Amino acid sequence: MVQMKKKKALTASVAVLLAASLAACSGGNNNNASPTAAPSGSASSGASASASGSSAPQRDAYKIDVFSMLSNFSGEQQGWFAKVVKDKFNLDLNIISSNLEGGGDVKFSAMMSAGNLGDLVVFGDDGQKYQDAIKAGMLLDWTQDGLLDKYGQNLIKYAPKAIEKNKVNFGGGSKVYGVGFDVGEGDGPSEGKDMTYNPNLRYDLYVKAGSPKIVKMEDYLPVLKKMQELEPKSDSGRPTYAFSMWQDWDGNMMMNTKAWAGLNGFDEGDGFNPGGFTLISADKNEVQGVLDEDGFYMRGLKLYFDANQMGLVDPDSMTQKFDDVVNKMTDGQLLFTWFPWLNTYNTPERLAAGKGFALVPFEEERTFSYGNNPYGGNRIWAIGAKAKHPERVLEFLDWMYSPEGTMVANYGPEGLAWKLEGGKPTLTEFGQQALPSNPTAVPDEFGGGTWKDGMNQINNTTFKLTTINPETGDPYDYTLWTSTLAQTPNKLEESWRAAMGGATSAKDYLQKNDMIAVNKQIFTGTAPEVISDELSQKQGQVSQVIKQYSWKMVFAKNEAEFDKLKKEMISKAKGLGYDDVYNWNKSQNEKVFEYRAK
Amino acid sequence: MKIRSSTGDKVFHTFNYLFFAIFTLLCLFPFYYLFINTISSNDLSSRGLVMWYPKEIHFNNYLQVLKLKGLSQAAIVSVGRTVIGTLATVAGSAFLGYIFTKRKMWARTFWYRFIMITMYFNAGIIPWYVIMLKLHMTNNFMAYILPMIVSPFYVILVKTFVESLPEVLQESAEMDGAGTMTLFFRIILPLIMPIAATIAIFSAVTQWNSFIDTVFLMTDQKYYTLQFVLYKYLNESNSLAAIIRSSGGAANVDLSKMQTATSIRTTVSMIVVIPILFVYPFFQRFFVKGIMIGAVKG
Amino acid sequence: MNSAAGTSPHPQTVAQPVSRRRGITERYRLFLYALPFLVLVFVFSYMPLYGWIYSLYNYRPGFKLSDTPFVGLQWFRSIFANPTQTQEVLRVMKNTVAMSALGILTSVLPVAFAILLSEIRSMRFKKTVQILTTLPNFISWVLVYAIAFMMFNVDNGLINKLMIELGFQDRGFNYLANDSHTWLAMILWATWKGLGWGAIMYIAAITGIDQEQYDAAKVDGAGRFRQMWNITVPGIMPTYFVLLLLSIANFINNGMEQYFVFQNPINKDHIEVLDLYVYNTGMLGTNFSFATAVSMLKSIISIALLFFANRLSKWVRGESII
Repeated sequence: MVQMKKKKALTASVAVLLAASLAACSGGNNNNASPTAAPSGSASSGASASASGSSAPQRDAYKIDVFSMLSNFSGEQQGWFAKVVKDKFNLDLNIISSNLEGGGDVKFSAMMSAGNLGDLVVFGDDGQKYQDAIKAGMLLDWTQDGLLDKYGQNLIKYAPKAIEKNKVNFGGGSKVYGVGFDVGEGDGPSEGKDMTYNPNLRYDLYVKAGSPKIVKMEDYLPVLKKMQELEPKSDSGRPTYAFSMWQDWDGNMMMNTKAWAGLNGFDEGDGFNPGGFTLISADKNEVQGVLDEDGFYMRGLKLYFDANQMGLVDPDSMTQKFDDVVNKMTDGQLLFTWFPWLNTYNTPERLAAGKGFALVPFEEERTFSYGNNPYGGNRIWAIGAKAKHPERVLEFLDWMYSPEGTMVANYGPEGLAWKLEGGKPTLTEFGQQALPSNPTAVPDEFGGGTWKDGMNQINNTTFKLTTINPETGDPYDYTLWTSTLAQTPNKLEESWRAAMGGATSAKDYLQKNDMIAVNKQIFTGTAPEVISDELSQKQGQVSQVIKQYSWKMVFAKNEAEFDKLKKEMISKAKGLGYDDVYNWNKSQNEKVFEYRAK
Repeated sequence: MKIRSSTGDKVFHTFNYLFFAIFTLLCLFPFYYLFINTISSNDLSSRGLVMWYPKEIHFNNYLQVLKLKGLSQAAIVSVGRTVIGTLATVAGSAFLGYIFTKRKMWARTFWYRFIMITMYFNAGIIPWYVIMLKLHMTNNFMAYILPMIVSPFYVILVKTFVESLPEVLQESAEMDGAGTMTLFFRIILPLIMPIAATIAIFSAVTQWNSFIDTVFLMTDQKYYTLQFVLYKYLNESNSLAAIIRSSGGAANVDLSKMQTATSIRTTVSMIVVIPILFVYPFFQRFFVKGIMIGAVKG
Repeated sequence: MNSAAGTSPHPQTVAQPVSRRRGITERYRLFLYALPFLVLVFVFSYMPLYGWIYSLYNYRPGFKLSDTPFVGLQWFRSIFANPTQTQEVLRVMKNTVAMSALGILTSVLPVAFAILLSEIRSMRFKKTVQILTTLPNFISWVLVYAIAFMMFNVDNGLINKLMIELGFQDRGFNYLANDSHTWLAMILWATWKGLGWGAIMYIAAITGIDQEQYDAAKVDGAGRFRQMWNITVPGIMPTYFVLLLLSIANFINNGMEQYFVFQNPINKDHIEVLDLYVYNTGMLGTNFSFATAVSMLKSIISIALLFFANRLSKWVRGESII
């Protein structure tokens, strides 16, 4: 009996508890905002905003939620960057990564439903989500209470056009809800020493093969074959390949094939609209469809097919993941890469031995450059409407849009990785070891931990790093500092420079030889049009077909099978509505062309 | 009782032992492989040169993971939710499963189905999240416990198990005037120990491994669980691919900045599995011997 | 929300029977025992179902439902928008059904595993096997694929090396990019991963069998196989049938993690199950209402299958499970 009473008391209390919570639930119905404010304790947002003067020397510790759709880190910012932000602003950054936490747009949807996107918000693009967040009142208007004038002097000074663009495109001409990334001025290409797309070959082998002339992109194949014969095995005795690819990064099409379009001045996306099934020329008013018979995408597929017939394509390409490719690169199994950033082969030891990757262009090459964009790119920095102290968030963001903030956020406080010598930045010994992102131990007075773990994890930029820092006269990018460029070249670089007519870097060579197509940035005065749900559904399905068949075509047994698969791909894609999506993409791109002419 | 074993028996036993030995090796090897890779030189391991035995042994990967901030707090939360959650789940499903064996219960079939079909519902994560928000289940430890108390699957297991017990037991106890509760604690509970242990294992592992609730409901680090803190590492390469896909592919990526080394990610998965292996033998004793129903009766 | 409020008077009624037990019939008393649990189920499982209404709208989180356009059944219809898409959906459904069917066929394996394990005499061996065979269950599919790639890759894979050395092949072969036995391969992986874990339940069920039965059988001179067949098998059948029926109802939900990591352009035609297809086409991420429509359809199909399976059970075994 005693046991029974206990049990009943327990069950009764559970029921009461539930009833109480249900009551709370129905209470929240008439006001969407109230339940969300409660857990975080930020109910008093309005009142405190004006109260806390940011000029006060010792401010309260303030932990801000940084919701980033671009971050691949989640949790509290660590190490040297955390210390910088703490010392300067007394802020702690709690980073929420939408991709790590739930994946896709689930986290975003949940936060939207809760009515709170955090304090600092980073959008991956300025499409649907950003525009929805503005419409639903989730983002702070920076002009409110004169916040921008008071706390955003650097933004106004260094990114005026980017602020103006957001005001006109997204804020109805008066309100500012965010600012774009990669703000940069100047004509030429926006990349650093290397371009995003560069045909890089194992230069030592290329020279051994007699440095044959390469005119069009297909000419690489015989050269690569010869190189493979020269070095059939990697360091650990595995076979070498020209092309080792991976499919986990494929979006609307096969990424490794699209790279050939990039080398010919065409890319997915025109710098204003999100990508789809069109490839847009950087500087000419030309659009190619992915499935155009004479387009660069199809030409790239044929190139890989031929390469595979010659034994140049890694047979694991379809089944390996990106990590595996990096490991193969490190081991020396690769002879070619489209992307300079994939190069993990060039270690100091190998470079000293004269081995390594370097640019070997083809004569027809016109590498796509994203161009400097004074209006800011489409990745957006914004501030949540529910931020407790919006002025302190804006102040922090504003600092990152200052020359000082840009230097510190990327390369740490002065004296750690870099110092000023005669007004010019120079890498310290520590910097030479730690940069770009090595796990070098950081001294305790700078926050401890390793350099890599302490790096800014929000993963969105403010200024384009290749633009000139007005305070030093050098670009922000450390690889372009006068002091870095003056360093003596290694053995490989030396021979490469000699062969390339004294060019100092890949960009330098391509620029001198007019082999870069720079994407002209535009000011439209309108937000990019959002794709309809129906079209986006079609896009999702068609891209599946394109990706699947592209890979099958590369590994087709013979020419006949290749052609058959090609026909199948086109008819299936069209059946699923390829043309509708393509036409929509094209019409958006053509609007951009009109603005380019202005 | 030992009967001399026939040849057939011998052959059967040989094959039986052989089968289990081989299958166990098949299960063990991948785990062993991952483990030796976490303690071997990271460079050799990334190049796929560690295959059968560890090379250049070191424990830096483990030290590095164990040094992660907030790990001990997360471990406490994890243990807490596992222990309390498991007790609640076992108690809840045992009791409810037993009640559902009572044919006299009002509208039994209806309520049983009411619970069963929830296994096949999927309202989607957002509506679920909104309800949890309204119930104040965000930043609340109860969010780990309350939703887990009734688990249809375990309720079914208990019900089936109890129904397979000889009815004589309950009937005779009822004759003696024992009420539902007495019956449950005196007779049923001791008998369902094997299935209760099964449920305990299942629910403990579920509790230990879940992170989705933390992802959505907990913003305060006080409530972070071990699995949540660590699972993010496992998710990194998928997440990186997703970021790249969504930004039009092949953007200029600073690779090394975006990802933790594979060796660390593998270490992380070792660290969450090893505690399970230590706890498992504790539950095992409930399975080892058949229960003598006669003994209980007497 | 109104029906939820209706449950609030119950707490008082729960408290009463303690003192006035005789006044309330056994029927309601038993129900009241279950009530708190039913309330929990209602709150955590049924209340979120209000979200199904989103499938009729073009809903975007963050907005009021009344501010978003009502589209009726458009999302349901869009699943079969045109002939090519219908073909795609049919292909995907074929895979879904095939994988589920194979899954159901292999569901006897854990039973066999448990029975055979119970025949092992050495306690230590038995315990060790039990623990170690559950290991694969704890390794995530991402890592399982990493192991698979390590074993099967062309350049350095264990299997390729072995096959070449033994002379069965003259060159490396990409086993993972191969569509000849995709369904079977997937089932094998799933079996390897889940066998030891799945057997736990049956091991428990075997433990629950009255030891007296075995003793009696031994006295009657029944051999090992006879005991297995006449005592052990019937002893765990109820558990097996329950799980079987549950898996029939789960036909349409195969999950996607495994298929996601193993998919590649070659095996895609046969590996793409419904969940993976919906994920691959990106419909879940961007389109909230469509995702709701899909999960609603899945729920309805599952519940229909559940009741169908239950009927079947009644007809075949003479007893229902729900």
